[in-house]
Order: sequence, then C-alpha cells, then structure tokens
Amino acid sequence: MSVRGTHIPEHLRLPIAGVTPPPTEKEGQRLFPTGNFRFFRPVYRDKTPPCNHACPTGEQIQKYLDFVKHDRYLDGYLTILEDNPMPSVTGRVCYHPCETACNRAAHDEPIGIRSVERFLGDFGLNLEENPIKKDLPPLNGKTVAIVGSGPGGLACAYHLRRKGYASVIFEALDSAGGMLRAGIPAWHLPEEVLDKEIAKLTGLGGIEIRCGVRVGSDPGGITLDHLRTGYDAVFLALGQDVGRRLDVEGGRSRGVLGALEFLRETGLGRPVKVGRNVLVIGGGNTASDAARSAVRLGGGEATIVSLESEDELLIVPEDLEQAREEGVRFRPQHSLVRVIADGEGNVTGAVLCQARLAKDENGNVRPQISEGTEFEVPCDTILIAIGQVQVLDWLPESFTERGLVKADEYGRVPDDSEAVFAGGDVMRGPSMVVDALGDGKRAARDIDRVLSAQPLEPDGPVEVMPYERLNTAYFRHAPRTPVPLTPAGTRSKSQKVEVTLAYSREEAVAEADRCMSCGVCNGCDNCYIVCPDISVMRDARENGRYSIRTHYCKGCLVCVQECPTGCLEKVPELDFDEPDAVVRMETAFAPYDGAHAEQAPFTRQLIEDAIAEYDRSKTVQPNGRGVTP
Amino acid sequence: MAFEVHRQHLPLFEDDGRAAATDDEHGRDRHYLPELPAEDPYAAGHRTCAGCGPAIQYRWVLKAAGGDTVVAGPTGCMYVANSTYLCTPYTVPWAHTPIASGGSFTSGMAAGYEAMIRKGRYPGPFPNIVVMAGDGSASDIGLGSISGALYRNHDALFVCYDNECYANTGIQVSPTTPYAGMTTFTPFGKAIPEGKKLPPKNLAKMMAEGHPHCYVATTTVGYPVDLMNKTRKGLNHVGAAFLHCYTPCQKGWVYQTSMTVELGRRVVESGLWAVWEYDPEERKYHYFHPPVQRPVTDYLAMQGRFGHMLPEHVANMQVAANQNWQDIGMDVPQNLRDLEDPERHRRLKEEEYSMPLNRGVGA
Repeated sequence: MSVRGTHIPEHLRLPIAGVTPPPTEKEGQRLFPTGNFRFFRPVYRDKTPPCNHACPTGEQIQKYLDFVKHDRYLDGYLTILEDNPMPSVTGRVCYHPCETACNRAAHDEPIGIRSVERFLGDFGLNLEENPIKKDLPPLNGKTVAIVGSGPGGLACAYHLRRKGYASVIFEALDSAGGMLRAGIPAWHLPEEVLDKEIAKLTGLGGIEIRCGVRVGSDPGGITLDHLRTGYDAVFLALGQDVGRRLDVEGGRSRGVLGALEFLRETGLGRPVKVGRNVLVIGGGNTASDAARSAVRLGGGEATIVSLESEDELLIVPEDLEQAREEGVRFRPQHSLVRVIADGEGNVTGAVLCQARLAKDENGNVRPQISEGTEFEVPCDTILIAIGQVQVLDWLPESFTERGLVKADEYGRVPDDSEAVFAGGDVMRGPSMVVDALGDGKRAARDIDRVLSAQPLEPDGPVEVMPYERLNTAYFRHAPRTPVPLTPAGTRSKSQKVEVTLAYSREEAVAEADRCMSCGVCNGCDNCYIVCPDISVMRDARENGRYSIRTHYCKGCLVCVQECPTGCLEKVPELDFDEPDAVVRMETAFAPYDGAHAEQAPFTRQLIEDAIAEYDRSKTVQPNGRGVTP
Repeated sequence: MAFEVHRQHLPLFEDDGRAAATDDEHGRDRHYLPELPAEDPYAAGHRTCAGCGPAIQYRWVLKAAGGDTVVAGPTGCMYVANSTYLCTPYTVPWAHTPIASGGSFTSGMAAGYEAMIRKGRYPGPFPNIVVMAGDGSASDIGLGSISGALYRNHDALFVCYDNECYANTGIQVSPTTPYAGMTTFTPFGKAIPEGKKLPPKNLAKMMAEGHPHCYVATTTVGYPVDLMNKTRKGLNHVGAAFLHCYTPCQKGWVYQTSMTVELGRRVVESGLWAVWEYDPEERKYHYFHPPVQRPVTDYLAMQGRFGHMLPEHVANMQVAANQNWQDIGMDVPQNLRDLEDPERHRRLKEEEYSMPLNRGVGA
C-alpha cells in the first residue's frame, strides 16, 4: 500500500452532511479516492523488440514501422537515419536478421521489414534535399582517416559527421562503395541507387572520398604512420576483397577465376568473359551471386558444387529459391579434385568426387572425401568461392591475428595512440553489410568518446520481449505481403534488371500494420479503455505512454493483462514507499467525528443563509415582531 | 402547439477487426482502437471492487452514450457501490429506482421527456435514456416491468449487466447463474455435488422473441468496440432496445482481478455465451463467430466458483456448449465432440487447461 496512515484533509471535516459535490470528469468523485485499495501499480516500462535487438546497427524498427502505419514516412525515414545511413541499400541487400528474429514468425509469418525499409529508403532518396542536413552540427575541426569506402567506412564517416567530425575516406578502387559495388551484383543493388546514397553522404559536407589510393601497399604512398600522425583517429574498414585460392591440380588454367574477382570486374563494368557451362565451387552467398551472374552474363548454365548438403548451404533461403528459379543447378556434397585443361591451357572439364563437410578442432573446414567416387564433368569456366581474405602485411604484427585485424570489445586496435579502430569484414571475417554498418556506427561513437576524453563503456543490458509475453488475442492472423519479384525468365537474361522489387505504398502500410510493437507502447488505447476506474489518462498522448491516476487506480491489473505489447508491468506498491514517492491520499473512508461529505459552495450558502435567518429571527425588529430571549 | 421531438444520432465506431460483430475482412491488422470519445460520464472515484466487470461495462456504455444522457439504476451492486454516502461518480443525471421498477421508472422518464419536448417545456433534443439493471433486477425481480417497457416500446436502452448472481447481497443464486455455479444459495455438497442443477435463463433470447419490435443484442466486456457500437445502435433505434452484457464479478466468481476482460473473451470462445444482434427490421439474428473455439475447461478452470465440478459436470457443460455452437451456426470440431464424454475429464481442479498469459495477481 502506498498510504502511510490516512490523512483527512481539513475541507472534509465539515460537520454537516448534505448535498454532495458532483464529480467532474477531470477530477473524479474526490470523496472516494480509491487508490488505497491497491497493492500493485501498473507501470509503463518499454522493452527492446527482438528486431531492434537483432539489427547490428540497432535500427529502431518498431518505431519506424509505427510511423509508416500512420502514413508518417518522413518521420520513419529520419528514424532509420539515426542508425543507418543507407536504407535504400540495406533495404535491398540486407540478410535481415531482424526478420529472422521477428516475434510474428511464432504467430503467422515474420514482417517484411526489409521491404518496408526499402520503401522508406527510396522515399528518402527521392526527396529533393537531405532532411538531416539542416540539423547537422558545425564541423569541430577534427578529422578522422577511414580506410575503405565500403559500408563500414561510409557508416563511420556518416555518424562522425553527425557528431561534427570531418573524415577522409581512402578507397583503393576507382569508385567508392567497396563490396557494395564490387561484390554485390547490380541485379541485387543497382548502381544508380548506390551512387545516390553515396552522393547523399558526401553532400553532407565534411566527408571526402579519395579513390584510387591503396593505403600501405603502394610504394611511396600513404602508410599507416601518415594516418596516425595526420589525423585525429583512424578507422580501418578494409573489408576482405581477395578470394581464397583452391590448391588443386590445374588450378591455374585459363578459365579458373576467383568468384570475388569475377563479381568485382562485372560490378565495376569491366568486360569479363564467362563460358556457357560454369562450375561454381563453394556453398555460400558469394557462390550463389557468382552463379547467378554467370547465368546472366554467359547465357549458359551454372552449377554450384558444395561440400555442404542442401540443408547446410549458407545461402539465405530466398536467394536459394531465386537461384533455383533462374536455373542454377546444385551438386551438394561434392568436392573439386582437379581441373582438366586442353593443350592451350583452357579449362575443358573438372574431376569431382563425393565429399562431406567436416571441421577440425579449430573450426577450419576439412573436406572428407570419399575415395574412388571421382567422375568427370565438362565445363569451360570454374569460379572459386571458398572464402576471402585481406592483405594485411602493411600493418604492424601486433594489429593482426589469423588473417584478421585484432580488436578489443570496442573495436579498438591495440595501439599506443588509442585512437585506431577497426570494423567490418577485416575485423570479424566474412559477414553481412549490416554488420559493417553497425561497426561503423559504434566506431564513430567510440572515436567521439576517445577524442573528447570520455571513457569507453559497453552497452547496458537490454530486456528483449519474447513472443510468450505478448497478449496475442489482439493480433488477428494476417499473411505477410509477398515481396514482388521480376519473373525468372526476364531477370535471368540481364545483369541490370533488379530481381527484388519494391512494395507499393499500400503494401508497405499493410505490412507495417502487422507489427505487434513487441514490448513498446504504441498508444493503442487498450489500457485506457479497459480501466474500470478511469485511471489511465491519455492527456499527454504521443505515440504511447499514458499516465496512471494513482489516486483512483485500485491495482486490478486488467490494463497490464490486456496490454497487447507487454510494455505495462505490475510493480508492488512497496517499491514506491520512499518519502517523495508516497501517495498520501485524501480520503473520506475513515470513520471520524462529523460528516463524510464535502459541501458544495451553494449548499454551504444555503446553510449560512438559514443560520443568518434564524439569527435575525432572534433579534428584536423595529416593527416589534420577533422574540427577544 | 406541439413541438417536434428531435432525436440524437450517434455515429458508430470504425470497427477494424476489433469488435466481436465482424470478421476480420478489412485486411488491416492494426490493433489500435478507433478514436474514442474523451468524455467519461462515469467518472473515477467509485467503490466497486478492483477489476469490476460491471464498472467496465458502465464506463463503456456511458462513454458511447455521451454527455446528453439520463441514467437510471435499479438496486444492485452498481447502485450500492456507486452511490455510497450520497456520492455518485456520474456527471450526468442519475436516479435510483427500486429493484423491481427499473422498467416502469424508465418508461415514465422516456414518456415524460417526450411530453415535455412536445409541449415546449424541455428545449434540447431527446436525451439518451439508459437504465442499467443487474441480472437480479432484469431477469428476476424486475423482469415484468422491463418486459412491459419493451412491449410498450418506450424510447430507451435497457441494459442488463449480468454478473450471474445477486452480488450486492453477498453472492446468492440468480436465474442467470450458470449450471454448477456455486453461490451461497447453491453450495455443493453430498446431496447436490454440482451446486446448481438448473440451466441459466436465456434472458436475451426471451426479450428478442417476446418483443420482436425491439433491438436486442448481447455482448461481453471482452469486446469494447462491439459493446460501444451496440450501445449506440440501441440508442439510435427509435423505440425500446435491450442489451444483455456479460460482466464478470471478481468476488462472486473468484478469479484473479486482472482476468476480467480475458474472461469476457473466453466465455465466447468456449461457446458458453453467444454474442449476437437481433435486427427488428429483418426479424433476424446475426451471430458473431469467434475466431477461436476452446474446450469449456479453458473458461471454467479460471474461476473458483466451478472448482468443485466433477468429470460428469464438466462433460455436461461441454454438451451445452456444443449445442450453443450449433445454435449459432458453427461446426463443432471433433476434439470438442470428444470432450462430451465424462471419461475424458478429471475433477476440474485437476484438469489441464490453457492458461492465459498471466501477468500477475491483482489486488
């Protein structure tokens, strides 16, 4: 109970019970403040939705879906931009850990978050002016060097700019974008979209991209020392752009290519020759992208040869399905034994054998080959997609470990300056675009802390809302809006035609509408309407949050039970028993001398009039009437 | 000279899949309530118990009716709890009537307002006249007067808040107490192990069949938009309207206070309460078909008043529920058919049932 002793206010101690005061909607019936019935209090406490938690950039997905629901697209776009500078890119190429984590999967189907993000991203790209530009702080004079203009580098530059830092990005290739341009085929991510997103970033002012500069390797070029001395901080986001080689007999024949190099050349628009019968070695997303590009470019057939079985393939499910539709064939649980070449060194075929994926104690892949199952297949091109590395010999030895840049939990590289950070593939090995974007965001935050002499702190613990704690009675089953695709026949003939298409406005709103807003108040008014005591007030309503009128709340917890999102919690009243938090209620319940009711002014007036009249009647009047005591 | 009587017209709430009266055909799954009116003629500061079902129903009905409303309340717990020490939580005119005369009192009010308006002695439009009687008043002691008012077609809305017992006097049996529902007048024991043997009175059907010119509907506190829309339809209907509303009583039924609204949904989903609307123009019933069909144990096991039920009693209840499913035009799934067999049940206390998400015991 929140009441330490019942306090009876002076105005309730009037001696006469009479006509009682009428209640008002605003104040209620003040004679019956029923709050002292209560043992528990409902409290609004937002949790983290699983989608937000799963996103490496920490995008506030629930929040922007809620904006889309209410047709507030600009607000939704600005919400994304707080965490992710390029929603048009991630809206196309992200492997959507958010959708994998979505609670709605346990209800019916996960929400098409990526497609809504793409809708918002394209909405933003079509705006005439970048809406965040007018709110940027002025440059503070400090400049950060960033190596690599991939998603990690661009995100870091963007978030630094939002904090007032300038940055210089060094890019080895002739155009910016890193793997977004050189690794992801144009039918996933059209060049124009990437160009526009990069132009949006450079248009903010303070972000300079120097293309064609390979840090460290060029003799007489820029070295790490230049960066350390010439700039306030350094962010290494080189990525991994060197394909791992496969040591087999005939591996250097003409027609054996690294899949990564193949994708880079096609991505940069250079002429690449590919045959009509292509073998792709590998079981990951690069293999799938390379095979599908090879089908488009050569017009022939492509077969993915993988150690992994069909179920073990590391290709994301929708890509796998699209690849099959486009005619890519699969030969799971096979390994390349040797390459057959003709007299001029051109590939004419390959010897494969049955094999199985196995790993040694260090987690390295060690194929288990079944002896005696070798057979020959004809082919004219072999693309190798068995992993990727980066050349790091220009970095001090203390920076690297097992082919990756070594970093602590903040992404900081062990260096005396304490201002060298790393992120993306070069730190974590092959990973997603959105991982790099998240690393860039975190690096920007931590660089800011280092440069402004604040301590680095890990993120606090978060409470992620599970499906089991939602009140699902309020969510009707509604199927996921299918993501539109270009027909396989059309798309498999062109390197430019986008495979995945955009939601229309109606589709995006319908999809955002399915969001259950796990753990976060979205102002659905449910607590407001189910309260039997009219104690949930929505005066200050703005996308959630109500106030509880503790003078009247009886603690029945119907609101807590009926909250669809689970943002309401019960808290024992005793937790509030601090001197400042105690609710001391004025009540008329307790028996005491006198009346139970407060008099209305007009009643008091009536009584006073009656007393005055009585008093008058006791006085001698000039005309002699009246009684003198 | 006679003045014309102007009547109020209350618009219906946009109903996007939240009301019980419609299926989810809108394609939108938004769980936002429509813009609810800000006014609450049933204000805070009333001494009903924590989690009171009738209090929720009172609030919704008066919210839907709006400020230009006159209320009458026959004796019942909502009279006693709300008007202690001469204080009421109503910001609109309210009058208490004896338990038997809710109908006749309201008839007089409606006729009186009409006459005064015709004679030019009352300026405004015809007010919304609502009488909210408990099940004891509406289905038992005051049945005759309410039936008379419906028969004479006075322009008022008669609401029965049905908490299935005489709760005000300490939980005595009423005609709408369900089979096996324990009250102080129907205790279970050796002679009558089920407690109450008689099936409940079907009050709303009786009102609809007996007064076919009236708008009659049933609803529960599980469906806010449905309840408010039916209130408005009843008030918009020129003539008498009757709304029978299921309102759990935490003290009488012995359940956790937080489950009031959940029970309002579960009673419909277990087939023990049909939500429907009777249209006097078409002379047809429109039944709501809930999206989920549950075994009766999901509903019964949440309440202490059914705790004594033996396997055969639970099976009897399932038979009645299956009959109800057929009455409202729904198929009975095989798993519910199978549960008509007492062999499939245990004592209710030991029965397994689907627990609602439990966010804690209330006050």
